[in-house]
Amino acid sequence: MSCHSPNNKSSNETNYKNTINIALAGNPNVGKSVIFNQLTGLSQTIGNWPGKTVERMEGQLEFLGYHFNIVDLPGIYSLSTFSLEEIVSREYIISENVDIIINVIDATNLERNLFFTFQLLELKVPMILAINQMDLLRKRNIDLDFKELERIFKLPVLPVVAVHGTGVHQLLEEAIELIVYRHPHHHYKRRKSAESKHHGHSYYRTEHVHERIKSREKIKKTFKFPELNEVTTFGKEVESKIVSFIDKLNDHQQILSSCNYPSRFLAIKMLENDSEVIKLFTDTEERTAIINLSKNYREELEKLHGEDIHTIISSEIYSNIKKIVDLVLITKILRNIKKRSFNDFLDHLTTHSIFGYIILIAVLFGIYFFTFSIGDFIAGLIDNAFIIWSEIIYGNFGEDNVWVKVFWDGGVGGLFGAVGGVLVYVIPFFFIIEILQDSGYLPRAAFLMDRIMHSLGVHGKTIIPMILGFGCNVAGCAGCRIMETEREKKVSVALTSLVPCAATMTVVLGLVGRYLGFYWIIILFLINFTVIFIVGRILNKTLPGQCTELIMEMHEYRVPNYKVIFKQTWVRSKEFIFKAMPIMLILGIVLQILLIFNALEPVNIILSPVTVLWLGLPAITGVFLIYGILRKELTLVLLLILANSLNITLLELLTPIQMIVFSSITMLYIPCFATIILIAKQTSWKYAIQISLLEIAIALLIGGVINFGFQLFTSF
Amino acid sequence: MTSESINNKANQIVGTSLTKCLTECEKGEETIVLRVNAGYKAKTRLANLGLVPGVKITKTKNAPFKGPIEIIVKGSSLVIGRGLASKITVECNGACLN
Repeated sequence: MSCHSPNNKSSNETNYKNTINIALAGNPNVGKSVIFNQLTGLSQTIGNWPGKTVERMEGQLEFLGYHFNIVDLPGIYSLSTFSLEEIVSREYIISENVDIIINVIDATNLERNLFFTFQLLELKVPMILAINQMDLLRKRNIDLDFKELERIFKLPVLPVVAVHGTGVHQLLEEAIELIVYRHPHHHYKRRKSAESKHHGHSYYRTEHVHERIKSREKIKKTFKFPELNEVTTFGKEVESKIVSFIDKLNDHQQILSSCNYPSRFLAIKMLENDSEVIKLFTDTEERTAIINLSKNYREELEKLHGEDIHTIISSEIYSNIKKIVDLVLITKILRNIKKRSFNDFLDHLTTHSIFGYIILIAVLFGIYFFTFSIGDFIAGLIDNAFIIWSEIIYGNFGEDNVWVKVFWDGGVGGLFGAVGGVLVYVIPFFFIIEILQDSGYLPRAAFLMDRIMHSLGVHGKTIIPMILGFGCNVAGCAGCRIMETEREKKVSVALTSLVPCAATMTVVLGLVGRYLGFYWIIILFLINFTVIFIVGRILNKTLPGQCTELIMEMHEYRVPNYKVIFKQTWVRSKEFIFKAMPIMLILGIVLQILLIFNALEPVNIILSPVTVLWLGLPAITGVFLIYGILRKELTLVLLLILANSLNITLLELLTPIQMIVFSSITMLYIPCFATIILIAKQTSWKYAIQISLLEIAIALLIGGVINFGFQLFTSF
Repeated sequence: MTSESINNKANQIVGTSLTKCLTECEKGEETIVLRVNAGYKAKTRLANLGLVPGVKITKTKNAPFKGPIEIIVKGSSLVIGRGLASKITVECNGACLN
């Protein structure tokens, strides 16, 4: 853990003297992204945290004369070091880049959400508690005593209904209030306006706020975090250990001053044997003394309680939370009212031992159908446009003009290929996936598939990126970020890249389906799934570490928020357009240049031992397969073009055996280029290349076996 | 309830063998967690999610084919792999005594 946080501010931010940097933190699925979307609109960027595979969502907005820079932290349950998300969040919050945290809390799940709040409190960074989904809570005849909550936490606590945008902008007003005035106690008056229908954009204290704020640095230094002793104090035994540990730490001022963590946080984490915090003490002389001390304390406590330290500390925090919740819940009605709602019915149906699987399969077909029908329609329009424009260009400059070939056929053609072949499928796909994700269906699929996925060395959650992979491997591999450990990510991207995507389906349907019949499609699918199974087993054996067990929250179903869905679809598509498409464009130009100089003929010759001798395919398919790396369905398109130019049908061009071999190769031989890029982004380039090579080897093996198998079979 | 008293209670119940693992629970059964015998990492994750000894849970679902189980902890639903669930010891309620 670096104590000196990297100062990655962009230059235009420093121009604003009155910039307020907000970090949105909270558990997964509490409405953080809804609030983020309400606040930032379309001015969002997705990036990665420096050097990490964790996604970073950032957005800006101007409000009341301030420039707000908002980072949506990943949804996490705790600030330990068990996942990259937790480490990233913790380091970011403590860095100079955060002025204030908005902790989003799900009102319907107060206790579990407050556990994370308690961890954030220990970081002593200015914080606002945003209690979301208050409407749902009130529907259950429960209300919260916000006055009491603010008295307890000595921080602003605001009710929010994120989906309606109620109270969302009050959070920003409160942020200005808190860090400019540093009076965390006088906002009761405004509570009424926060809940009234009009959203208070005009704020009576705005002008004062403007005058008072000078620069960010000043704000940060003058804010004094309230003392919360009565809230955060642990039980007697644990607390005494922590206090004496803090004393010990105070002897090491150079460590305390070199990092931003409060000493109490460090003491708790040292007790918990937190690997990242222990690293801070690596260079000190008394390192072993401190580590031994923490070890002694830990063992003493564990012996006393008969539990491990994490359980002890978590239990104590939860018992503190219980006290608070008892104080602030106004109407106490049993949480789980025994009433069978439509939500329960849907939940029951989708996790049912028979109907659950039927629905799962239906959902998969639904993804195919939706992606195909919308994508094909738009792809057709784009292809037509390209053909018409091509004729105009050829007419003006001549078809054999070198520049036309390079820039039009290669560059623009590559671009059209990327748009028509990939983008038109990717965008509707992102859209339907956002709906599935937002509605809460995907964890149900993970629930149903956990047992089966375990035999591949991963737990049920892997099925989520794999389902995404059915539409488009690119989206699927991007979805692998939900996996907790590096090992699971590696297995997941490999399996997802082998799932037959919509483009691969085109080839299989257009070739085998059309000329050889339905049975062969089933056989090819069975081969494909066998390969997925075998690769899973191989990776399970070879990758270090163990298969972890599934621990996953399953949320209630909810009606997807259309704003979030459209914005997420746009943001994801935007990322794809600007990151993956330029590479495809360059590749298109390179391929065209190679074609002009006939440089691919040698490729055919070089590949011919493999394509002709081993796979029994015509030599020309070597180039087709290379094109296929760009767009899988290009392999079929080029075959059709070749057959057209020779005035023969595909059946005359390829024998049935060759069709099966060609299709199975296309299904398996290598992830498409965009997918390879995404695999590299999720893991590393080295791993992406390894996976590609492995898949080529598998495809060649299977293609060869099919080819020779048939030859043997027919020779009898 | 302090951890110590939970522990005493746990020992008491273990002593009279009135425990079972979470996988043996009936659907819809409400019970109290006594012990989580899982690995360090899983244990910590569960503790962070509120699954600590002494907490009241309700088992709500069994996935088909010996798959994971679903429980309600502190008002939120949690899915736990079967291997892990079998390492969680819970209290036997009245039904066990019959």
